[in-house]
Amino acid sequence: MSVPAAIEVVDLALQAALAYGRADFGARLRQTRRRLTEDGVRVLVVGEFKQGKSHLVNALLNASVCPIDDDIATTVPTIVRYGEEPAAVVVHEYGGEAPAESKPVPVDRLADYVCDPGNRRGVSYAEVGVPRTLLAGGLVVVDTPSVGGLASMRGAATIAALPLADAVVFVSDAGSEFTAPELDFLRHAAQVCPNIICALTKIDLYPHWRRIAEIDRRHLANAELEAEIVPVSSTLRLHAVRTNDHMLNTESGFPVLIGHLRDRIAGQAGQLACRAAAQDVLAVTEQLTTTMRAQLSAYQGGDASAELIRELELAQLRADRLRERSARWQQTLSDGIADLISDIEYDLRDRMRQIGRDAEREIDQADPVAMEDQFAAWLQQQVSGAASANFVWAMDRGRWLADQVADHFAEDGDKVLPDLRDVDFARMTGSIDAIVMPRNEKLKLGNKLILGMRGGYGGTLMFGMAGTLVGMALLNPFSIAAGLLLGGRTVREERKRLVQRRQMEAKSAVRRHLDDVVFQLGKESRDMLREVQRTLRNHFTGHAEELQRSVNDSLQAAQNALRANKEECKRAIADLQAELARIAALEDRARDLTAGPQLVLSEVAR
Amino acid sequence: MNTTSGLGASVRAVMRRAIKAYRDCPDMVAYLQRHLDRMNEPLRVAIAGQVKAGKSTLLNALVGEEIAATDAGECTRAVTWYRAAETPRVTLHPSDAPPRQLPIDRRDGALRMDLGTDRVDRVVVDWPSQHLRTMTLIDTPGLQSISAEISARTAGFLSGDEEPAEADAVIYLMRHLHSSNVRFLESFYDRGIARATPVNTIAVLSRADEIGAGRVDALMSARRIARRYGADEKLRSLCQTVVPVSGLLAQAGRTMRQAEFAAFLELVRARRSDVEAALLSADRFARYDGLEPDVCVDLLHRFGLSGVRLAVTLVRQGFDGAPKLAAELVRRSGLDELREVLTAQFTARAELLKARSALLALDVVLSRAVRPETQALVVEVERIVAGAHEFAELRLLSSLRLGSVKLPADVLTEAERLLGGLGVGSTTRLGLGVHATMAEQRNAALDALSRWRRRLENPLSSLALTDASRIVIRSCEGLLAEFAD
Repeated sequence: MSVPAAIEVVDLALQAALAYGRADFGARLRQTRRRLTEDGVRVLVVGEFKQGKSHLVNALLNASVCPIDDDIATTVPTIVRYGEEPAAVVVHEYGGEAPAESKPVPVDRLADYVCDPGNRRGVSYAEVGVPRTLLAGGLVVVDTPSVGGLASMRGAATIAALPLADAVVFVSDAGSEFTAPELDFLRHAAQVCPNIICALTKIDLYPHWRRIAEIDRRHLANAELEAEIVPVSSTLRLHAVRTNDHMLNTESGFPVLIGHLRDRIAGQAGQLACRAAAQDVLAVTEQLTTTMRAQLSAYQGGDASAELIRELELAQLRADRLRERSARWQQTLSDGIADLISDIEYDLRDRMRQIGRDAEREIDQADPVAMEDQFAAWLQQQVSGAASANFVWAMDRGRWLADQVADHFAEDGDKVLPDLRDVDFARMTGSIDAIVMPRNEKLKLGNKLILGMRGGYGGTLMFGMAGTLVGMALLNPFSIAAGLLLGGRTVREERKRLVQRRQMEAKSAVRRHLDDVVFQLGKESRDMLREVQRTLRNHFTGHAEELQRSVNDSLQAAQNALRANKEECKRAIADLQAELARIAALEDRARDLTAGPQLVLSEVAR
Repeated sequence: MNTTSGLGASVRAVMRRAIKAYRDCPDMVAYLQRHLDRMNEPLRVAIAGQVKAGKSTLLNALVGEEIAATDAGECTRAVTWYRAAETPRVTLHPSDAPPRQLPIDRRDGALRMDLGTDRVDRVVVDWPSQHLRTMTLIDTPGLQSISAEISARTAGFLSGDEEPAEADAVIYLMRHLHSSNVRFLESFYDRGIARATPVNTIAVLSRADEIGAGRVDALMSARRIARRYGADEKLRSLCQTVVPVSGLLAQAGRTMRQAEFAAFLELVRARRSDVEAALLSADRFARYDGLEPDVCVDLLHRFGLSGVRLAVTLVRQGFDGAPKLAAELVRRSGLDELREVLTAQFTARAELLKARSALLALDVVLSRAVRPETQALVVEVERIVAGAHEFAELRLLSSLRLGSVKLPADVLTEAERLLGGLGVGSTTRLGLGVHATMAEQRNAALDALSRWRRRLENPLSSLALTDASRIVIRSCEGLLAEFAD
């Protein structure tokens, strides 16, 4: 069943919860609703340089939204979503507390902003809206700049964006099989985003694409990666759409890709969202029903009162157990987070120390002046590579911890896992500053002269004085020669000393920089993990409180029932039965939500 | 500039003295002897690059024969040397076993080698080809290969940490530029003698016919991209120049058969709309019914889709004979340009590059096994390195390229040219046409000489400029001396 139906059911549940005075369910259901309405299905298009990512997005949507060029590459991410009218916005983010600033631009001028080498305008990302039915269901396609290797800054930023994506389309052209960096990237991506489609592009150009696809499949199998390879040709697809040629469209492979995106990814994401919504609704209705059943049996009295007493005892027991457990899960959570923080921090420090050692070795081999820029870039790459690896690990452990905590609630039948997507992971790797290398002092001519003179003066004087003893002038050829020699030596020594000093300075700059990075990243990762902890705690506390409240309500109802007279009883019974019927209907609808998608899948199979 | 032979002679002499000095140590002698012998062999040029950059295809194009096997998947698995010889022979050198001969097994022209299971150090192919006489070509397995062992082997071969590299010069193939390309070029830097010279590396923008979805004008785009790379500061400091080449087109052009031309002619004569529809994609062309299916598949294999498109366009434009079409394809492929650059940069400098490799080897030996009697040799090596103007030129060129010596833009261009950065021929150095007369060259040289003398004497010139001027002036004087002969 579709997302709108799910929203409707959630709205009904929300009304019911409020009507029964259970405002505590309100927050949870509202969050469910927000997730259903706001989260589109994000598909990230990633890949190496010049593999045809932008072309693929254009062909997919049959619109020239992403600029393509033989040479210039995309430099900022472009987010393409549904819009009534074609429109484009570029967004500048200033980091920190400053709000992002967005500016509308003409769609045909977008290339100036997103394909700007060096990104002089400082655009953070661009958003484009196009009226396409494929996008109407909430599908959002993101064209990214090329990854350029996992260790690059871009690669790290892309990895950090992956957990927010529902699927990744990894683009690699049919000209060659996967390279080692590509496979490495896929391996990392698979850890944080389970849905990966490998698009093999440009199959119109390469007669051997079937071989390449086969080889790639083998590589994926060897790496134990579950990813589908979909061969496509953007050129053929655009040509087919222009000439309205269905055969050619099929040949372009795009129908398969769209099928994957629509049925598997969007369908799956929708299915997941519906299932999560249904679960939330059912958890609410179950508790409402439990309370009302208790009331009902209390009012009905008679035979039912024995049952009532048993149920009440049971409820009391559950509440007690819950309280007991609450101490246990809180323990698990706080211990888990403490371990996690220290492990992650240790890992980060360890990686940085390794980089520091490598860097010192590099510096020892050459004069820092000669390699300043390259060195800074190298260091930046190493650091962001390490940071992203550290980050992936933190993510993994965070999920595992959530699972551990949820196990404590498993006895109640519903293991409700929180959605960690609300935690802002992207923040973590975004802010590594470049190293500030020490301003290197070079031996200038002036310095050289003075230095040389200092040495030379001594030499001249010494030999000159010695010379006067044997009856020569103070400035004689020997003393001048000695002066020159000593002067030269002084300059040479000074130069050597300067190189050594520069090496020392570079090393201490590296050490300082790595310290800063550890400090900065350490703070960020600690903050992130604390946020994970907060999210988990709020989630599970809420869950525990709801359960507790239901138990209390039942007890309260039973006490009320004992006090009520016959008339009141009759009315209350009728009311409660009607309410129960209504809630049962709601439950049925919620169950339909989870049952629905299987129907869709079988239709697809047919 | 005929001093290079003088340089070669003095390097040979010092090598011989070194062999004598180390005669009690057979390992050293063998090592030095190998490097001495190497000076009498053709220049060794390695073809390196990422997986599937088209290394073997380019090698075939340069040799003019399809001898190296090429395939859609990763293909070259061992470092393979192609040397000129009277009779063909293939020798396998395993890492831990004596070399053995392999049978010569050619399928569709390409050599098939059964490498077995040993760890292979290299394969040496002796081949009768006049194109290998001036250069020994070395085909390397791809870098960034998923098979890490293969990648490591290539990297080790090209930039051994201690030993001087086995190759004197490198043609580095890259598809579109990519950060790992640059990193590899960086690792090719060498130490010692002519420190960190981008002068023995040429970058090739390969598979140029595939840029821009294989349009007919792809090669123009490629030229534009190559120009941009050539001007890129970072790349300038790593290689001489960037040349766009479509190896596939060049290989197909140089080995074109009459039957293939006939097929193109048939395509031109067929209904245009049919042919255009067929040329939309490789799959469609393979199914095209105007030709035999084998012919289509063969054309695709040999020319690539963009090659077929280009050939059909060219035949339409009036290249109406197989030799004419073949020549035009080769011209468009950029192979001629690459050959020119190779001649200017490598062949003309072969003796110098070989002398450099030999001195590097000697340097390693002398610094590792220090003996009292070798002190004189150390001095001698230093004298050669400091005294040979060619090395001074190389050093200055590389520091200009690396940006460690900064000159104003116009002065920089002239300095690079006079130092032989574009080629060591006298007309190239002087920036004159090939047909310039002796008198014209003499005048140009005198002009340049006086211009640079003024720069040297100008008290406002920076130290970098006066230092550079001294070397450029010697180059100019060398040119003039040549004309005086």
